[in-house]
Parts: sequence; C-alpha cells; structure tokens
Amino acid sequence: MDADVIKQKPNKIKKRTYFTYAISSAKDFTCVLPALVLLAIFTYYPIVEVIRISFTDWNLINDSYKYVGFKNWEWLFAGSGTKYLLNSLKITALYSLGEIAITLGGGLLFALLFNQITKTFSVLRAVVFMPRYVAMSSAAVVFLWILNTDNGILNYFLGTLGLGKVDWLGNKSTALISVLILTGWRAIGYGMMIYLSAMLSIPKDYYEAAALDGANSFKRFWKITIPMLSPTTLFLLVTTFISSMKVFQSVDILTDGGPYRSTEVIVFMIYKYAMQDFRMDRASVVAVFFFIILLIVTALTMKVSKKSVNYDS
Amino acid sequence: MKKRLLSVILVLTVCITMLAGCGKKETEETNNKAETKSETNQETKEPVDASKYEVKEPITIKWWHALEEQYSHVVEKVVNDFNSSQDLITVEAEYIGSYSDVNEALVAAHAAGTGLPGVVVANTPYVAEYGASGLTEDLTPYIEAAGMDMNDFGLGLVNATSYEGKQVSVPFLISTQVMYYNVDMAKELGVTIPAKIDDMDEFLKSVSKFNADGTTDVYGTIIPGWDQWYFETFYLNKGVNIINEDGISTDLDSETAVEVANMIKGWCDNGYAYWATGQDASSIMRQNFIDKKAFSVLHTSSLYNTYVDKCDFEVGMAWYPGDKTNNSEVGGCVLLVPSKNDQDVKNASFKFLEYLVSEEVNMTWATDTGYMPTRKSVLETEEAQKFLAEKPAFQAIFDNLDLINPRIQHKAWSQLAEIWKSYMAETIIEKMDVKEQMGNMAEEINEVLEDQ
Repeated sequence: MDADVIKQKPNKIKKRTYFTYAISSAKDFTCVLPALVLLAIFTYYPIVEVIRISFTDWNLINDSYKYVGFKNWEWLFAGSGTKYLLNSLKITALYSLGEIAITLGGGLLFALLFNQITKTFSVLRAVVFMPRYVAMSSAAVVFLWILNTDNGILNYFLGTLGLGKVDWLGNKSTALISVLILTGWRAIGYGMMIYLSAMLSIPKDYYEAAALDGANSFKRFWKITIPMLSPTTLFLLVTTFISSMKVFQSVDILTDGGPYRSTEVIVFMIYKYAMQDFRMDRASVVAVFFFIILLIVTALTMKVSKKSVNYDS
Repeated sequence: MKKRLLSVILVLTVCITMLAGCGKKETEETNNKAETKSETNQETKEPVDASKYEVKEPITIKWWHALEEQYSHVVEKVVNDFNSSQDLITVEAEYIGSYSDVNEALVAAHAAGTGLPGVVVANTPYVAEYGASGLTEDLTPYIEAAGMDMNDFGLGLVNATSYEGKQVSVPFLISTQVMYYNVDMAKELGVTIPAKIDDMDEFLKSVSKFNADGTTDVYGTIIPGWDQWYFETFYLNKGVNIINEDGISTDLDSETAVEVANMIKGWCDNGYAYWATGQDASSIMRQNFIDKKAFSVLHTSSLYNTYVDKCDFEVGMAWYPGDKTNNSEVGGCVLLVPSKNDQDVKNASFKFLEYLVSEEVNMTWATDTGYMPTRKSVLETEEAQKFLAEKPAFQAIFDNLDLINPRIQHKAWSQLAEIWKSYMAETIIEKMDVKEQMGNMAEEINEVLEDQ
C-alpha cells in the first residue's frame, strides 16, 4: 500500500505540474490576448489585405474589382512604374542618409558642445530640443514661408550677404535639401538629448585612466566615448532609419513630391497612387515591395549590429 | 448705355443657349443621342412620385465646399438664409480645401461609406470619373420631382454636368481661363493683347523688361504650371487632341503638340514668361502681378474681384489668343449628392442644392465672387444689368461665351493631368529636349489611358 502510494506520488506531482503549467500558460495567454487581437486586426490583417489588393485592379472610387494576377507587379518591374519606383527609392535613400547624418552627426556634435551641467547649457539644450515638440504640419507651413523665393527670410539673409535668390522649393537640386533643413531643425535636438544621456552614463574612471596613460582629448573621445556610445548610435540609427523611411508630412506640405517628382519619397509615391490617382492596386504593389525592402534592411542592420556594437559598460 | 447693356444681355442669353454648339461635332451628336434617349424615356416612363423626395423630418446635413476665406461672408449669408427659410433642414458648411483636397476627402469617405457630406462641390473634370463609378446620385428624378428647369442653364453646362445622359451633378460656380493684364502698362506701351498665339512671341518681347545683368525685371506673362487647365487651351486651339477619339491614346507627342511646347518653353527660356509651379506658386504669381513684376497673368475669371481689390492699377481681362479655334474651357465647380447617403439625407441635400443654384442665389454668387451667372433667366434681371455695369472687364468673356467648351471628360483625366504637368515643368525648368520629353510623356499617358 505504502509502496503504491510512494509509486503514485511522482505521477501525481507530474500531473499537477502539467496542469498548473497549462493553467498558468492559459492565464498568460489571456493577458496578452487583447494585445494580440489588436495586433492582428490593425497590423497583420492590413498586411494580408495589401498583399491581396496588389493582385486586383481596385480603384478606390469603384466598389467592385477583379483579380488581375501579376499585372501590377509587371507594371512595377517592367512597365512605367519601374522608372518612378527607382526614382523614389533613390530619393528615399538620399533623404534617409541625410536625416541619419543630421540626427547622428549633428546630435553628437551638439551633445559634445552642451555636455556640461550648468544653467546656461540647460537653457541652450532646451532651445535646441524644443522644435521636436512643434507639430510637423505647423513647422512645415512656417518653413514654406521661410523658404519662399521672393518673400522668404532665408533669401532675405542671403541677399544681405550679397548672394542671389534661391528657388528653394521650386528647384530640383534644392527641394530635397529644403525638406532636410526642416527635418534637421526638428531632429537634431532629439539626437543631442539621446547622446547626452548616454555620455553622462560613461564612467569617469575610464577618462581618468586614459588621461594618466597620456591620451589626449581626441584619443579619449575616439577610443572611449565613441565605442561606449555604440549601443546608443545603433538605437538612433535604427529608429532614425525607420522614421526617415516613413517621411511624408513635410514632403506633402513643402513640395507635394515636386518639382517633377524630385522629392517623391516612397511613402509619398504610395499616397499619390492611392489618394490622388485612386489606384489602390498600384499603391498596394509599391507598399508590399517597400515592406519587403524594409524587412531585409532591418534584419541586416540587426545582424551587423550584433558584431560591431559594444554593450559593455 | 442702358440699351447697350440690354443688347449685351440679349447676346449673352443667346450665347449661353448656344454653349452646346461650342463642343466638337461628336459631342453634339452624343448630346442629341442623349436627348433623344431622354425624350424616349420620358415618353414611356411613369411620372416621378414627388412624395418620395420630400423632407418629412428635421435633419442636419453638411455641405463641403472649396470657397476660400475671401468668400466666407457669401457662404455664411447663403447658408443662413437657407436655414432660416425653412424649419426642417439645417445646413453646416465646411471648407475642405482646394478642389483636389475635396476630391481626396470625398473619394475616401465614399470608399469608407461613412462621413459623407450631403452636398459637395467638385471641379468640372471630375464629373465623368464620379459618374462612371457611381459615386454620385443620379439627380434626374429629383429634378423632375422638383420641377427644376435644367434648360435654364444652357445645354453646354448641362452636358458638362451629366454622365451618359444622367444628370449626376448641377452647374454651380462657373468660370473660364482669361489673361489679366495691367491696363496702365498697356496704355503706356501702346500694346493690345494679341488675338493669335503666333503673335505672342513679339507681344511678350515688347512688354517684358530686363535688368542690366540680363535677368527679367518685368515678365510678359506668368503661366500657372500647377494646373494644366491654364495651358491646355493653347494646345486645343492649335488643334491637338489631348485624348484621341479612341479614348486610349493621346496626340501630345504630335508635331503640333511639340511645336506648342517648344513655343511655351521659348517664352520661358527668353525670360518673357515665368513658369509658376510648386506649393505657393499661385500666391507668388498673384503677388508678382500686384507688384507690377508681371505685365499679365493667365488665371481663372473667378479671381477678377481679388485682382481688382489688390491692384493699385486698372486690371484688364482679355480672352486667350487663339489659332485654328479660339475656344476656352469651362472651369469652376459643380454640385453633387454622394450616392451612398441615406434617402433622407439625399432628399434634404437636393433641397439645399436646388436653393444654391436657384435664380435668386445665382446672382448673389456672381456679384459677390468672380464667378459667372449660370442661369439664362438671371441674365434678364436688373441685377444682371448692374453686374455688367460694375464689372465691365467681363465684356471679354461675354463677347466669347459661345466659345467656352465643356471640359474633356475621361476616367483617367486626373492621372493624365498629373503626368502632363510634371513633364511640362521638368522640360521648361530643366531646359530639356521637348520632342524627347513629349514622346516619353505620351507613352506614359497612353499606358494610363489603356489601363482603365
């Protein structure tokens, strides 16, 4: 009898463990279920829908549509869409590089400049960071006037320096730069704040030891600050890259993708096909292609970062 | 003077009646067919049951419009007058933005099936696209039930607002392209606006002024590159088919089209003309004219009041120079009722729409904005005489009313227009080869036209 009890015990414990585990898992699952449902409705379902629409001829203005196979994909890769896709990819890449350079480079520069805890520097930091809180739409409308060829304040200052007027938004070579000026004005303070907080967390001992070893300030910056900031740099690189890929509002208000598509970033291209031409079919095919590209680039970034980012502190 | 005015009004009345004749022969034939069809339908059709279109319960509807700030007092007055004229319908007017903003908002609401306005304005070229897709309610039975006389608008305007014989919209604020010019400068220089496109070169050269360094001080004219409506007339009058009869190809790469594009580019290259493009192009253009930095501008007749109010010189209004034809195209907007609304909303909306285009309100729009009166009966009133006396520059339009054509109607028109504007701007600003550019553009347009 006793022996039987002894024999049965582990099984009972085992059964109870499985049961407890199942209950516990079910509880956990119930907790995340609302989030999963929302994620499925607002993220995964739209992705599936966009893929499906890319195989139809749906015009937003019509209620009905039919499946057309790979016709839209053919338009994108072997029709008139190719030219515009390549153009938009090039512009998006240039814009992205610009925004990354401004946010990371400019942010680091300002962080080094304002890396002192004094009242004056606090005020200066606030001034640089403040544009981040100005709504992009409002900022873009203000910049529309700043960059105005005839009455803009920027051209007025150029004029006082004896320089000629620049058609900032109407010229192919300056339109994208103008959009980047607005982006930089808003993003540089954010880069500065992130770098500043990371800089303040670097132990002072490293710098003191390096100074004792005779390292000059540049060497200390290059050998200590930069490597110690690498996780922050990666964070900024990934977040800035993603936000730069999604740029739309500034382009919409400042240039409307023009002049002649010279600022037509890929999200604006998608918007144009969907909301101006009402070609949901073409907009969807571009969106799916863009989604694939972003997926690949993000995966590559994460892979590269594992090798070259220093997480020691 | 009174006799002269009366004669002008009579001519005007006759001209509006003849608006249908301004289109191409095939348009006329289509109209006749549509009319015959409509007559046949009427013969066999049961009379409309007017009770189906009555408003029985109090209701609030929205009116989406594109009338900017300077017209807000007129909008407010008209809406208030309507709201106080009856007890059942309350109208809330909402300014949405430009015509393209209204278009985007309307199509998005139609696709979603919610948030639709009761009544909405639409730029004239959208009628075919909306009619073909079923976005608009067929207003024919409402018009019949209300006993509204569509013949009072003139056949040209009725055609411009119908799709396949169905009255899918109603003419509202109508304008056309004109050339505004500085009369004082013209007197000083002793010049008149040429009647022929081929004389434009010499004319623009004579009115343009240059600085010592060769840059332009005063432009001969400014061409609105942000909307092809302003320059497509040059092509049409030279005989270019923007959309061929087959409906799936363009003639914009033809020898004549290339010649017109080269001519316009030449004006800009020589500094005689400024190609206005970009987000603030319209305000830049207006400001240049007001500041006497441009002898003339090509713009819509609806902005006459704005120019007169802002300029400290006499503003003249001239008809565009012509060639094989001397036509212009109807601009402005129509009114429509989205088809996905509930029947109660549609009924109330039509009542408001009927009020907006009624005789008494028609003259208010014409007097307080720069738009033209659209009803023939209105032109016979005392107010119409006063209108002509107050705005004598409108004589240029009234003299040519029979030359105002309906817009080109095609489902892919807005896509075509976008491509055309973009290529023209690039060719002119980047000084590219016109023939090559027009060839590439035509290829792209053909692809869009075919894929509908």
